Amino acid sequence: MDYIWQWNQIWDYRQVFVRGMQVTVILTCWALLIGLALGLLLGLMRSSRLMVLRIPAAVYIDIFRATPILVQLVWIYYALPILSGVQMGNIASASVGIGLHAAAYIAEIFRAGIASIDRGQSDAAKSLGMGYGQAMRRIILPQAIRRMVPPFINEFATLMKLTTLGSVLAVNELLHEAENLINNTYRPLETYTVVAVLFGLMIYPFIWLSQRLEQRWKARG
Amino acid sequence: MSDAPIIRVQGLHKSFGKLEVLRGLSFEVKRGEVLAIIGPSGSGKSTLLRCLNFLEEYQAGEVRFDDELVGYRRTAAGKLKLDSENTVRRIRARMGMVFQSFNLFPHKTVLENVMEGPLVVQRVSRNEAELRGRTLLQRVGLIDKIGAYPPQLSGGQQQRAAIARALAMQPDAMLFDEPTSALDPELVGEVLEVMQSLAAEGMTMVVVTHEMGFARQVADRVMVMDRGEIIELAPPAQVFGAPESPRTAEFLRRVLH
Repeated sequence: MDYIWQWNQIWDYRQVFVRGMQVTVILTCWALLIGLALGLLLGLMRSSRLMVLRIPAAVYIDIFRATPILVQLVWIYYALPILSGVQMGNIASASVGIGLHAAAYIAEIFRAGIASIDRGQSDAAKSLGMGYGQAMRRIILPQAIRRMVPPFINEFATLMKLTTLGSVLAVNELLHEAENLINNTYRPLETYTVVAVLFGLMIYPFIWLSQRLEQRWKARG
Repeated sequence: MSDAPIIRVQGLHKSFGKLEVLRGLSFEVKRGEVLAIIGPSGSGKSTLLRCLNFLEEYQAGEVRFDDELVGYRRTAAGKLKLDSENTVRRIRARMGMVFQSFNLFPHKTVLENVMEGPLVVQRVSRNEAELRGRTLLQRVGLIDKIGAYPPQLSGGQQQRAAIARALAMQPDAMLFDEPTSALDPELVGEVLEVMQSLAAEGMTMVVVTHEMGFARQVADRVMVMDRGEIIELAPPAQVFGAPESPRTAEFLRRVLH
């Protein structure tokens, strides 16, 4: 191959990447916040004995897992305003859309984590006179969360990568900024390579952390 | 303290779906009494024990603890309605329970396990909880293990810690669900010793067990269950010496070889 890489131009435009990363991080944080809060709620509802809680949670989770996120995003940005009069900005739409989508997966992580804890643990908590909330908070969740860390980090990485879909709503996240840049510089190879490396740098530390935590908890048994 | 029985069970029925596990049991446990429940597997012993503190719901009859209906309340019309969680919790807190598989909290140290109930449920001070914890762990011989995590302990040590955890709530009665069945034979003795000393102190105890020696020597009365019914309820000398029911005799012949 005799392709000649040209990095000078990319370096000149480094501010564009910094700007894009900032938006990507903001988008990730908002989506994560929404996904976590709603996911915990849905996960608890899904684990409930009461049908009125369990069924709506199950329906939500199934709908969001069974439809493409790109369609969900576009629907929230274009269809929701027409149907409800609620018009969110593009960053808000993307945050909410990715958050709602992630919530369905995070709920399943919570549900599976809670279900993986032996029933004897909640029996023991109950026999001491603890209520449902106390048993969850002090006994079940602290144990379940350890088992949730690997799938959760996995979901976090997925979520951060999904923020690139914000580009279809013209959100100026990293990928969208990069695409704009390519229109000026005509250097797609360099630009996409940098985008990939930047995503890797943002995501890898969490993967590393997750592996470390897993090892440490395994050591203590 | 009155002489009234602390646990009173009347016409207790429990089913899992179509399977009837308890078929109308009635009995009482007096304060300070040790009742051993024996019988073949699947006879409903553990289920009965779990109904006493309402870890299992029952469908008919009643369980009373210290005269209070457990798990249900009577409406004005005389019907039974599920009681509020708070009431059930208050009653559960007065009955300690020890499980076959220990069920210690693996993410907490032995001392933290024992302090958990007093701290969270009774809301005593940290000092008071720690004092109770240390005293009890001393008593069950685990004072040198207070900083250990449950998976680092032997089965016998775990079960003794679990007994201390239940006692930390200063319960009025203790329920034991096959406390030695998951233990290696050489570890059974240390757990039975702790239970025996509890009995000697006058603790009210209901013990589901396969340890015939314990039932014979420590229990005040022995209940024999088979297929969800009480087939014998008498002092151990009578149950082991001259059982009334042929099913009891048959069961004892099998377990005592």
